[in-house]
Amino acid sequence: MLLSVLVTGLAIGALYASTALAFNVMYSTSKVLSVATGHLCMLGGVFGAYFIQTLGLPIIVGFVGALMVGVIAGYLMELITVRRIINRSDEHLWLLSTLALATMIQQSVALWWGTEPRPFPRVIPQEFGAGMADQKYWLPVVALIVIAIGLELFYRLTMYGKVFIAVSEDAFAARARGVPTNRIRAASYMIAGLIGALAGFAAGQLTFAYFALGHVLTLMGFIAIAVGGLGSNLGAVVGGLLLGVLSSLVSYWFGGEYQNTIAIGVLIIILIVRPEGLFGSKRVRHV
Amino acid sequence: MSPNVRKFIGALAFLVVAAALPFVTDNIYYIRIATLIGIYWILVAGLNLVIGYCGQISIGHVGLLALGAYCFAILAGKAGVDPWVATAASALLGGLCGLALGLPSLRLPGFYFAMTTLAFGMIVAELSVAWEWLTGGGVGLMVPFYPGEFASPWGFYWLVVGIAAIVSWLVWNLGRHAWGRAMISVRDSEVAAAAVGVPIYKIKLYVFTFSGVLAGLAGALFASYQSYITPETFVFELSMFFFVCIVVGGRGSILGPFIGVIVLAALPEIVAPLAKLGTFFYGVLLLIVVLLLPEGIGNLIHILRDRFNPIERRSSGIVPDLERLAAALRQGGMK
Amino acid sequence: MKTLQAKGVSKSFGGLKALSDVSIEVRPGEIHGLIGPNGSGKTTLLNMICGYYRVDDGRILLGDEDLTGQDIQTRARLGIARTFQKPRLLQDLTVLENAMLGAWTDHEASFLETAFALPRNRKDEARSRDYARELLHGVGLGYAVDRRANLLEHGEQRFLEVARALALRPRFVLLDEPAGGLTDHEIDSLERIVLTLKDAGIGVLIVEHHTDFVFRISDRVTVLHLGRLLKHGDPHTVETDQEVINVYLGA
Repeated sequence: MLLSVLVTGLAIGALYASTALAFNVMYSTSKVLSVATGHLCMLGGVFGAYFIQTLGLPIIVGFVGALMVGVIAGYLMELITVRRIINRSDEHLWLLSTLALATMIQQSVALWWGTEPRPFPRVIPQEFGAGMADQKYWLPVVALIVIAIGLELFYRLTMYGKVFIAVSEDAFAARARGVPTNRIRAASYMIAGLIGALAGFAAGQLTFAYFALGHVLTLMGFIAIAVGGLGSNLGAVVGGLLLGVLSSLVSYWFGGEYQNTIAIGVLIIILIVRPEGLFGSKRVRHV
Repeated sequence: MSPNVRKFIGALAFLVVAAALPFVTDNIYYIRIATLIGIYWILVAGLNLVIGYCGQISIGHVGLLALGAYCFAILAGKAGVDPWVATAASALLGGLCGLALGLPSLRLPGFYFAMTTLAFGMIVAELSVAWEWLTGGGVGLMVPFYPGEFASPWGFYWLVVGIAAIVSWLVWNLGRHAWGRAMISVRDSEVAAAAVGVPIYKIKLYVFTFSGVLAGLAGALFASYQSYITPETFVFELSMFFFVCIVVGGRGSILGPFIGVIVLAALPEIVAPLAKLGTFFYGVLLLIVVLLLPEGIGNLIHILRDRFNPIERRSSGIVPDLERLAAALRQGGMK
Repeated sequence: MKTLQAKGVSKSFGGLKALSDVSIEVRPGEIHGLIGPNGSGKTTLLNMICGYYRVDDGRILLGDEDLTGQDIQTRARLGIARTFQKPRLLQDLTVLENAMLGAWTDHEASFLETAFALPRNRKDEARSRDYARELLHGVGLGYAVDRRANLLEHGEQRFLEVARALALRPRFVLLDEPAGGLTDHEIDSLERIVLTLKDAGIGVLIVEHHTDFVFRISDRVTVLHLGRLLKHGDPHTVETDQEVINVYLGA
């Protein structure tokens, strides 16, 4: 029994971790934490279900389609809510603009797709009696592994990746050297959209295609970041998995009604005790 | 006549007009809408100080509203406690929860704080379903009317108007004196705030706690207004509504968000398609304001005035009056 | 007589040592200039005296009182005011309201007293409004008292910051490059204001690049270079010192 609790926890934790990685990618080039991060995952799940189940498209087509939706959503997010805002002196505006976008995405999906969680189709042929080996548990984990390794390779091996790192360390200097920071930022948001949609698609059978996932995932992804340390991908993965397992254990011991409460409790404790997270670094502010 | 006196008289006139509503129309529907607007304003007035003055992004106040509502429903409904006592208890509970929520989270950077408030709203929603023995779970609770004259729609309306008027006066005082300037410094330049000795965390905490009191109070009135509450009554969309009223209405202003509440609450009633779009519309509105007019529509008047009434630049430059300065320093003394 | 001192302070940012064992002292009624090339640590030192950065080593003292662990607001309450390199004003408020903000530490009314507009709050308001108005006229901004701060020109912003600092009723005023971007006429006005502060017994620390200005009005000058104390003394001695000339002033 405990094993199945752990398996569920890892699966949902993998989704949280993937969301956290998407956060990190966007943060790295823009210093913005988008409220709509979780909505990228939600879109992957909803559109995956829409393409495959409603439209009857082949699974691989639906998969690619869902990823494309994520990429486009990421691009629009950067274009609409970040690019124009980022130069303004008011620090909080991006919070408002991404919140506005998150609301718009959530509500339009609610109006179109409906407010009930709808089932997500089987991605790989498998019997439903597979228990813990059911794909709804290991697909999200596989997705996380693919994303995490993909990001590592991207940052280390590709030119683009190295430029990302340069921009994240000093955007001003990067721009002075002629790096097209707008394009880099847009690219990073598209990558985040890809990550989110992939994670959301992979976890679709676990979460169902549900319009309200956005805020929950944003919150959980954020808690994973807070625990693991902003900017640290390792921290995002560790934080997300820990959070997922903890949620699952709490559900098992106390019942599912306390999931959010416990998660937030963890957040509060971490923020008081070690605000920079497990793997983060303290930041100095210059006057 | 100084601008403050003018504003006060204007507010008084509005109050008279508002109070006269039941005499002007027999339509209970309009009175109900006006009552709801009044209740929303009681909450938004406090939240406005948090968001519009202190610049803290709080998107969980529906949780405090719910706490106040359930407190009232349980005490005045299930337990038969006197409604006025129950109302006071709701306000007190709102304040305590605001304090408990603010204490650990107001030290954090903006996004962290916003997420914590979001989480708070979710917790309240979760617990209101989970703690069936207290809240009736998904089934919900019946809520009594206020006693005597206040049980009728117009009686209740006048009660709400009266409370809203007092609340408006309180927040107006807070917004325009030293606390108001301190709050705005917390919002616009923490560096400058610290330099003049403003205790940033303490200011945020006081204001947030106060907004909790008002939210709890509004919750009690809201519960009675609805006469039946379930967890579904308190959705995140309400938090968004309050939030958008303030940001769109204009920051650093009492009147802006007030008009914002009236317009945004009345709009879905008048323009039917908007009712269906609901929160999507609020999201669009928020986005437009943030991109084009981040200070809010309420401050548009200042922007227009500056555009069409340019200041004449002095040719003589800045000429200090050193005697006056020396005299002031002499009189003011030193710390 | 309480002097404001930094004693043997050091500060590193990451691997970079911004200040090494620097000492400086400001006496009441003294104008003390702090100069040096870019990166010498002048603003870092000023920020440390005010409390924006923690010292790694050394102490900050006001008279006998050790300020080293105290936060910025406590130091403000003890009478240490400052202006900023880039003016930090509240754009939505008027000039008068911005200046009145400086009087926060003298504000006695509580939250509830303010909410209910009780007499103590009204007295506080009247007092800070009158004082701010006098200070604004004093620095030369009387004509702009009701103007919104976002309409101010650069020079006006700087003078408003000075008025706000004075509203605190400070013992010491620390000016961070106050002459930056000012016209000659405005620098002249600033000079006369600072001399008035000196006459009133306020100790003034000026971090500046306009060395003529500094040498003209300072009683003492400290020169920093690469985070270390290079030279210290009366203006003439410092101005003619060969090392100072080599490093900073030029031929």
